[in-house]
Amino acid sequence: MKVRFLALFLLIISISALAQDNDQQDSLQFYELEEVILTATRSEKKSSSIPMPIETISRERIRKSGFRRLNELLQEQTGITETIDESGFRGIQMQGVSSQYIKVLIDGLPIVGRSSGNLDLSRLAIGNIRKIEIVKGPSSSLYGSDALGGVINIITEKPKKEKLNGDVNASFGTFNKAETNISFNQKKENIGYTFFVNALSSSGYDLNDELEGNTVDPYQNITLGNRLHFDISKRLKAKVKSRLYYQNIDINGNSEEWDANIITKVDHKWSESINTIYEMYYTSYQANQKVFDEVGNTLFDSNFDQQLYQPEIRTIWDIKEDQEIITGIGGRFQSLDRNLFKSSVNFNSQYVFSQYSVSPIEQLNIIVGARFDQHSEYESQLSPKISAGYHLTDDLMVKTSVGSGFKAPDFRQLYLDFTNSAVGYTVVGKRVESEVIDRLQENDQILSLIIDEDDLGEPLKAESSVGYNAGLKFDKKRYTIDLNFFRNDFSNLIDTRILARKNNGQNIFGYINRDEVYTQGIEVDANYQLNDNVDVSGGYQLLYAKDDNKKEAVERGEVFYRDPETLETKKIEQSEYFGLPNRSRHLANFKIYYKWIAKNAYVNLRINYRSKYALFDTNGNGLIDVYDDSFVNGFSTLNLSIGKTFLDDYELQLVGENILNNEQTGLLNLPGIRVTARLQYNF
Amino acid sequence: MNTLRLITFCLLSIFIVSCSDDDGVGTEAELSLETETFENLHAPQQGGQGQPVSGEFTKFDFETGDVTDSDTDWDIALRGTTIAVNGGEQTGTDDEPERTSDAGVIIESGTFSDITQVPETEDFVQDSPNGFAIPSGSGNGWYSYDFATNIINPIPGKIFIFKTSDGRYAKLEILSYYKDAPTDIDPFEDEARYYTFRYTYNPNEGQTNFD
Repeated sequence: MKVRFLALFLLIISISALAQDNDQQDSLQFYELEEVILTATRSEKKSSSIPMPIETISRERIRKSGFRRLNELLQEQTGITETIDESGFRGIQMQGVSSQYIKVLIDGLPIVGRSSGNLDLSRLAIGNIRKIEIVKGPSSSLYGSDALGGVINIITEKPKKEKLNGDVNASFGTFNKAETNISFNQKKENIGYTFFVNALSSSGYDLNDELEGNTVDPYQNITLGNRLHFDISKRLKAKVKSRLYYQNIDINGNSEEWDANIITKVDHKWSESINTIYEMYYTSYQANQKVFDEVGNTLFDSNFDQQLYQPEIRTIWDIKEDQEIITGIGGRFQSLDRNLFKSSVNFNSQYVFSQYSVSPIEQLNIIVGARFDQHSEYESQLSPKISAGYHLTDDLMVKTSVGSGFKAPDFRQLYLDFTNSAVGYTVVGKRVESEVIDRLQENDQILSLIIDEDDLGEPLKAESSVGYNAGLKFDKKRYTIDLNFFRNDFSNLIDTRILARKNNGQNIFGYINRDEVYTQGIEVDANYQLNDNVDVSGGYQLLYAKDDNKKEAVERGEVFYRDPETLETKKIEQSEYFGLPNRSRHLANFKIYYKWIAKNAYVNLRINYRSKYALFDTNGNGLIDVYDDSFVNGFSTLNLSIGKTFLDDYELQLVGENILNNEQTGLLNLPGIRVTARLQYNF
Repeated sequence: MNTLRLITFCLLSIFIVSCSDDDGVGTEAELSLETETFENLHAPQQGGQGQPVSGEFTKFDFETGDVTDSDTDWDIALRGTTIAVNGGEQTGTDDEPERTSDAGVIIESGTFSDITQVPETEDFVQDSPNGFAIPSGSGNGWYSYDFATNIINPIPGKIFIFKTSDGRYAKLEILSYYKDAPTDIDPFEDEARYYTFRYTYNPNEGQTNFD
């Protein structure tokens, strides 16, 4: 595999070299105006003034990738990869931080509906996205809970022109994937709107005949997205944005999913320098699943209904050109109704945040901010962050930031009351520990308590992290290089422990703050625009992600492995401790975009490499070492899209995904080569 | 069984006596340490999978190096993943044997050969209504259960030091929970509850060393 990867790399280099031969004069019209970033500071800031690691994906790049869903697109970003946990839930990993600790926003507001903490981003259609902004490193100082590893913000299209404009496209591909996408917008005087609908269906597929059932069952889903902008006056502007997603999966039984968001926003400009935004956000996520076996017995029955209301008021004050203050106050009112809970549960929290940006001298930008979250279920959190950027030259900036993040214990960790009917173990949330144990004791199901009765229900702390980022950004328009060192220290991570033994030989598990882990490494991103036709970019991340306690146990010589052949036991050396599951030491990508101007066509080739990683411990010593046999070998995926515009308004696109045909079975379940053809009409 | 043991005992006594007569050194000869691997100790259980667990424990005696039906002359008793010692009190689970002696266990970390001595600083733990001396459950006592593969693996580096029912010492390492200790375990094919373990028994009274 490495050979193939190398060969491709060489190919890309040689193409680049060839292209360089016909390098022409700079054509300045090709460079866009400097990009404005929203997510890093919650106000519009030029990308060159932002002192923390950011990545953006433009609408153009989304289109030229040929992808339909957010998870597919993000995987091609440096340092980001999609992982699947032991229970089979998908999520995005960034800087080695797993999906539970990454906040995903649509237009600045959070998406809910996580499975065991993981957020499956294949739910998010990307046909109406203006751009995606990714901020790495803890961002709880602005966004509160869950933003430990960073924030991914999906910014939807806004009304642009007076003339009705938009596109219609349809595509068909492997696994009978059929997709229709309609998107248009218009802006007339003080009213603007956008409309988006996406319908996607597939017959699913099965990668492993030995396992019962399909790898992916047939599904149909539909996404609706709308915006309505109304300028009441020059100073008062109102917006309503909504999104609705529905999915049905064909299984023996039924499986349905709904996801809805509504944002109402009023922007009041008091003066040239002060404006206040009043925002009301509502989102809900519902998933109902009922699975039957062949004879009609219920195998699995689950209902999940989560709702969030989040009102917020914030004021942005541009004190001077080089100083700005943002202050906000808001509340989060959450509820979750789940059949594994005794009754519907509620979380309420209130927060205030403030951020001050200043540029005392032209070369220096400093941003200081903090947020205070008060919560009904756990102790209050203060999340500060400080960042500074210094322009050594016009093209070279040093960036550094330190911030903290937290994740509130989730509903499951507080209220779960679940007994596995097949095996017989029980898992209970912190809040209901005493109650459940009492009940089981009354029913004579408990043999003995392992934990002192007084310690039951001892409150959980929020999981927290401190993240450090330091890097260099070199931006010479035609070529940019971004280099960043990162370190994230997590503490109080929630793990399970045994509370009591049951008569059936199984245990009752509860939750406890215990684990301390870290992720650290280097990210490099480089982009080189050779000429009007060719753009080459590459990215790399080196990662070390380990559990501090386990590392110390190895240091003390307390961790062993047994050779399965000789049954001989040996000590694990520090160099043999591989680290956390699902972490690859190396992630790399190369992209080449070739624009054939004369033919109105383009070729967009991307290769992603992920080095070997392990799924779980297999030799019983509680950590992943080089002797475990759950390692997935390193592999590359190659994605290619080719497009051609004809008759001015029509575009034909061919997309090949995983064209090296590196099928991955096991947990990852990555299907082999897939081909899609798409026809688009722009108006 | 008992008669057999009596005869063995008599023969052994005669041997010792005759030996000492011959050599004229002290009255007791040093018995040599035995390191053995016991294969496929079958420890079945009823119930489990959500039902109360029951069934007779399989008892093992270090002195004879074999399983035994004796109600008193045993050191450890196994049922499924549960291991009892012949010391302390009953834990409360169904069908468990009565504890008749003062046996106990110390759990140490190390390789089998690393452990050469009974640690002086630690106390032997016995079964009690609060639980087994060797804690049950994945990751607590001697094994870890992998939810992804459904395999029960003995935790490597866990060495169990037993005080036996007759006051001798033994160290033990569990090697496998599956019949014939397969290299590549298939939890659906390979039969579980068959212990393979290695142990060293020091038959000399008062001696705490294992080498």
